Amino acid sequence: MKGQYDVIIIGSGIIGLSSGYYLSRSGKKVLVLDRSEFGSGSSGACDDMILLQSKKAGVTLELAMESLELYRGLGDELGCDLGFKQMGGMILIENQRDLAVMQEFVEQQQACGLNVDIVGRSEMRRRQPNINDKFIASTYSADDGQVDPLMVMKGFIAAGKELGMEVSYQEGVIGIDRDGRGDWKVTTALGVTVRAENLVIAAGAWSGKIGELLDIDIPVQPKKGQLLITEKIPPVGETNLWTASYVVTKLKPELAEQEEPDPVKKELGLGFSFTRTVDGNYLIGSTREHVGFDKRATFEAVEALSNQVVDIIPLMKHVHIIRHIAGFRPEVKDGRIILGEWPGMEGLFVATGHEGDGIAMAPITGKLVDDYVCRRELPKKVAELNPQRVLV
Amino acid sequence: MKMDEKKEMKNDKDRLICRCEEITLGEIEQAIDEGCTTLNEVKRRTRAGMGLCQSRTCSKQIARIIAQKTGKPLSEIMPVTSRPPARPVKIDVFRTGESNEESN
Repeated sequence: MKGQYDVIIIGSGIIGLSSGYYLSRSGKKVLVLDRSEFGSGSSGACDDMILLQSKKAGVTLELAMESLELYRGLGDELGCDLGFKQMGGMILIENQRDLAVMQEFVEQQQACGLNVDIVGRSEMRRRQPNINDKFIASTYSADDGQVDPLMVMKGFIAAGKELGMEVSYQEGVIGIDRDGRGDWKVTTALGVTVRAENLVIAAGAWSGKIGELLDIDIPVQPKKGQLLITEKIPPVGETNLWTASYVVTKLKPELAEQEEPDPVKKELGLGFSFTRTVDGNYLIGSTREHVGFDKRATFEAVEALSNQVVDIIPLMKHVHIIRHIAGFRPEVKDGRIILGEWPGMEGLFVATGHEGDGIAMAPITGKLVDDYVCRRELPKKVAELNPQRVLV
Repeated sequence: MKMDEKKEMKNDKDRLICRCEEITLGEIEQAIDEGCTTLNEVKRRTRAGMGLCQSRTCSKQIARIIAQKTGKPLSEIMPVTSRPPARPVKIDVFRTGESNEESN
C-alpha cells in the first residue's frame, strides 16, 4: 500500500468491498482501508437474509430486487460459493388488524413486481407445521433468499485482488485533506499517507466519525441488534420466518411503541426473525436498540428472544444456544440509504445507512458506487438516495 | 509413535483442526497465506471455531499454526472474541414464566 490510487474506500465491510470489486472491474486502481480486521464490524455480526418482503414498495424494494438478480450470478462471477439460496420467506400474521396492514403492504409490493402473496391457514401450516396455532395467515414469497455474508466478502476480496484491488487492515483513517493538485490525501493511524482522486465513505455505523474528519455531518447512527445462534438442527419449517409485528417494528416504529406495554421489551425494540444458515444453525433475532456503540450481549435480550421464539415455535425450547452476538445497523432517520456524491465536495462519495439491508443491498450498492465514480448515467430513482436530502 | 511419524502428521493437510466444523490444517494454512494473522480472522474466513465448542478446543492449536506460519510470537496472538453462553444452553433455560421446565 503506497502512493497514488484512483479510488480510496474507507471501510471493508460488505458495502466497501462490493464497491471496491465493481470499481476494480471498471479498471480503477482501488485501495480499501479498514481500522480493524476482516469481518469485525456489522457485516460479520448480522444475519444472512436477502429479504425482499420487508421493503416498502419504491426505490428500496426496486434496488433490492436488482440486487437479488446480481446475487444469482455473483458466485460464478467471483468464482466461489457464496452460500446463496432461495428458501423463500413467510411473515406470520396474528390478528385481523395486522392482516389488513399486510394485505395493503403486499398489494403495493405486487404492483412493484415482487412475487409475494397472502396465504391462508392451511397452506401456512403445510409449509410451517411447527408454529403456534394463534397465527391466522401469513405472507409467502418464494424469492426471499439468503447468502453467507463472510463468504461474499471473501469472494469480493479474492476477485478484487485478481484485478489489482488492495485491502489494508488495521489502517484506521485519522486525517483527510486535499493536496495541492486537488487529490484526497488520507492519513492512517500507522502514519501512512495515500492519495486518490476519489474517496468513498462506506464505514457503516461509523461513517459519521469519518465525516467529522471532513467537517461534514453524515447522519448515521448505530442501531444495535442482538442475535442468538443455535446448534445445527434439521429444518423446523420450509422457509425463513418473520412476524408481521417485525415489519411494523421496522417500518412503523411509532405504532409498535404505542402497543408495547412492557418497558424492557420496548427498550429492546424486539421483533422476530428466524433464519436457517446454509450450515444448519438457526439465527434468532432480534433487537433494535439505541445505546450508542455498546456491543455487549445482554441478559434482558437473551431472555426476551428466548421467550419470543418459544412462543412462536414451541419446539425451539429444546434447542441449544451456542452464541449470542450483537452488531450495529447503520441507521438513517428516513429509512433510506445515503448514496451519491457529497454536495460541494467533488470526488467524495458516500455509501452508507443500509440499516438491516446491507447484505441484501451490497451488490447493487457497489455497482451504483462504481457508476457514480465513473460518471456514468444513473437511473432516475437513485436521486431519492442522494446525500443532498440529509444536509442541514 | 515414532518421531518421524509425528513429523509426517504435522504436514498432513487433511488433519482436522476444528472438529466441530470439520476444518482442516490445509484450509487454515491457506487462510493465513491469504493474509489472516489473527484468530478472529481465521475464524471468519474458514469457520474454524464457529461450531458447538465455540473454539474452546481448537483455538490454541490455531494460534500455534498462525505463530509458526507468520513468525509472530505466540504471546502476541490475541484470543478469539468470546461471547455468551460459556457452553451450549437450552433455550428453555433462558425463559421466564410458569412453563419453564427444570431441565437442561
